[in-house]
Amino acid sequence: MRRRSSQGLGERLAPYVLLAPFLFTLIVFFGYAFVRVFYFSFTDYDLFATPKWVGLKNYLNIFRDIDFTLAMKHSLTFMLVVTTAQTVLALVLALVLNQRIRGINFFRAAYYMPSVTSSVVITLIFIWFFQRRGVMNFLISKFQEYRGIVGLFLLLAAALQLSLVGWEKLRRRPVSLFEPSFLFLSLLLSFIVVFSAVRFGLLTPREVAPVDIIWFNTTKKWPNFLGSLAFPVPLGAIMLFNIWTTAPTFMLLYLAGLQDIPRELYEAAAVDGAERWHMIRYIVIPQLKPITFLVVTMGLIGTLQMFDQVAILGGQAPRQSTITLAYYIYSNIFPSSATPRVGMASAAAMFLAILTSVIVYIQRKVLGEEGDHA
Amino acid sequence: MPSLQRRRWANVAAIYCFLLLFSVAFMGPFVFALLSSLKDNPTGWPPSLVVNQLKPSNWAAAYRLAKEGGGSGLMGGLGPGGQISFEITYYTQAGQEPAPPEVVIPRRVIGGAAQALRVEHWASDYVQVVDLQEVGREPLEDGLLTTYRFTLVNTAPVTLGEVPMDLTVPMRQQFVSATLAPNRIERLGRTQSWNNVSAGLLPYVFANYARVFRENYSVSTGKQLFTLWIRNSLFLAAVRVLTTLLFASMAGYALARLRFPGRTGIFAFMLFSMMIPGQVTFISNYLVLRDGIFGLSKLFGVSTLLNTYSGLIISGLVGASSVFIMKQFFERLPASLEESARIDGASTYTIFWRIMFPLARPALGALTILTFQSVWNEFFWPLVVITSPADKYPLTIGLLNLQRAYGAATFDWGPILAGTFISALPVLVLFIVFQQYFVEGISFTGTKG
Repeated sequence: MRRRSSQGLGERLAPYVLLAPFLFTLIVFFGYAFVRVFYFSFTDYDLFATPKWVGLKNYLNIFRDIDFTLAMKHSLTFMLVVTTAQTVLALVLALVLNQRIRGINFFRAAYYMPSVTSSVVITLIFIWFFQRRGVMNFLISKFQEYRGIVGLFLLLAAALQLSLVGWEKLRRRPVSLFEPSFLFLSLLLSFIVVFSAVRFGLLTPREVAPVDIIWFNTTKKWPNFLGSLAFPVPLGAIMLFNIWTTAPTFMLLYLAGLQDIPRELYEAAAVDGAERWHMIRYIVIPQLKPITFLVVTMGLIGTLQMFDQVAILGGQAPRQSTITLAYYIYSNIFPSSATPRVGMASAAAMFLAILTSVIVYIQRKVLGEEGDHA
Repeated sequence: MPSLQRRRWANVAAIYCFLLLFSVAFMGPFVFALLSSLKDNPTGWPPSLVVNQLKPSNWAAAYRLAKEGGGSGLMGGLGPGGQISFEITYYTQAGQEPAPPEVVIPRRVIGGAAQALRVEHWASDYVQVVDLQEVGREPLEDGLLTTYRFTLVNTAPVTLGEVPMDLTVPMRQQFVSATLAPNRIERLGRTQSWNNVSAGLLPYVFANYARVFRENYSVSTGKQLFTLWIRNSLFLAAVRVLTTLLFASMAGYALARLRFPGRTGIFAFMLFSMMIPGQVTFISNYLVLRDGIFGLSKLFGVSTLLNTYSGLIISGLVGASSVFIMKQFFERLPASLEESARIDGASTYTIFWRIMFPLARPALGALTILTFQSVWNEFFWPLVVITSPADKYPLTIGLLNLQRAYGAATFDWGPILAGTFISALPVLVLFIVFQQYFVEGISFTGTKG
């Protein structure tokens, strides 16, 4: 009997024993930490002296701190732009890639490559890419030189396409404006024409001085017409490469989702004579809603904690052009000069935590909760 | 009339065009950076796809020159008494008399003054230039090509590792070609400069890669920092993979298959923790490590866990997302598996260890890869915990250090890019070999609900 009851106790404790290491990290490095930071946010702690209670002073102070308001603005802009762009890009990529054609695995792997390497690696490559005499400026220079020619090429292609479609319509055949075989033909023909014109000197690229955009060491803002909503150029560069690295990951999620859509749905729609765009609009996108929900949530959480890129850029970009909430917190704990302002950093940290929760909550309300299939 | 056949064909062509376009967008910067990491000057203008270090003619020359000088063709070196014969061709306009180049073996080493301490025997003290003579003239329509040959002789009793060389000619005499392409052309084209004419094949091609290892050594121990950083990252990744595999499957199993008070609470708390950025809680975590986890570490005679791997390992025993992945996995296993064992009176521990853990192999595979990747790429937390000495840095922090070292005055991008690719290599190899696991990993977290 004794043995049985002791075994019973062991059995009852078993879940907690199995959970013990995880609970240890969860409680000490998350739960306790969260409560402690909450407490610090009401004190004047500086890492060394005993903390003194100061009430709501820190919360008032951070909103008076110009760095904090900048950081908040940057984080929110970054979140909105990057989440939107990467979600749309991921969806478009997935729709294109969701085909049964040869070699698709290679392309999937290639697209996923930027997402598996570390932020340090990617950021360093991008700093190099965006140097004053770097590849980005070179590409922009080339684009400016060939702007006219590219424009001509597109115009010619459009004209060809229109006339081909018009001709087909005249003969009373059903044809869409973007008929792929025509599109291919028009693009190819117009490319041949323009290319040979350039080759034989009939068209010459414009003379343009090399573009000399300073991407990092600048306080300039872009785009101008947005007024006070414009974001600093260095932040814009970070946005570009953040979208570049995360979009492929989310594309893979969308691809998995696309393959789960039952074929009957497409077939039924095809029988009803639905056009491709309508299929995407009314079948694919609604079916992908749970994935979109996940992708947007992960995007929001990820973008709000953007830190690495700012830290790696470090002194190469002015602080007021790149600072984000996460970096604001870090730099108040480890300032290059002056004493650490743990109180203010903690207040900012609580603000970041609350902001994240609120945004994720709003997102759930807007996109609708999809968690009930658990 | 667009037949169905033609339509299909055009569709496929269009899709391939798209695929290629996207590949250039996603892979392009990578591939170009990889090419540039071999270049002498990765920020040359205009950026070019031509890389001297990738031309077979230069490979052959680098190999042959080192071999000829009595060193190893692959690894280089100019042996005692070794001789290298070198040819160079110039172009002069009609009416201009070509002049032989002035050959100088400069007292120079790649990487600046700090590297000079490393050199025991300077090539400039020992290498002599002999037999400089004109060996051929080829008239062109508007000018003349003249080829000169000379021999470098090593009079030192030792093998010289680096033999830099500068050739200077009068104005308007243009460099055309040489036995080995020069690393730089300076002074408006008058001076052609080589870093090391007896480099050998590998040091010639991977010059920037060699620099990363050679030029960064620890102040205290004199060891190569980059090797240490790789080792540190490997060690940390290995330990974290082990703890994560064990603890995440324990916790995941408990959350998925056992019913006990507090289960939903723990799970909700876990989800909440996954949402909150690490930058919120790191303030306290930093202090917890500084004080040795409430002073517990003093029991082991350690007063602080900052700048220790124990600190990094203990604070990262197991992450919530790993537990999440394992929970998802265990939930999908059929209940019958453990029911019969339970009827036989097996304890929870036995069931977990004997039945469930071995069954989890596929998920553990994915978790291994994902954990390795995340530890290898981790940046923020190590940046906070490990600040000094540089010997202890993991690779990511080391790279940041490298960027500062080579970016102090003007950016010396060669070694920075080289270091970047060395550090990306393990994860890229893992990715190529275990691609399936990466995809599975995302879909595991992807079926969150």
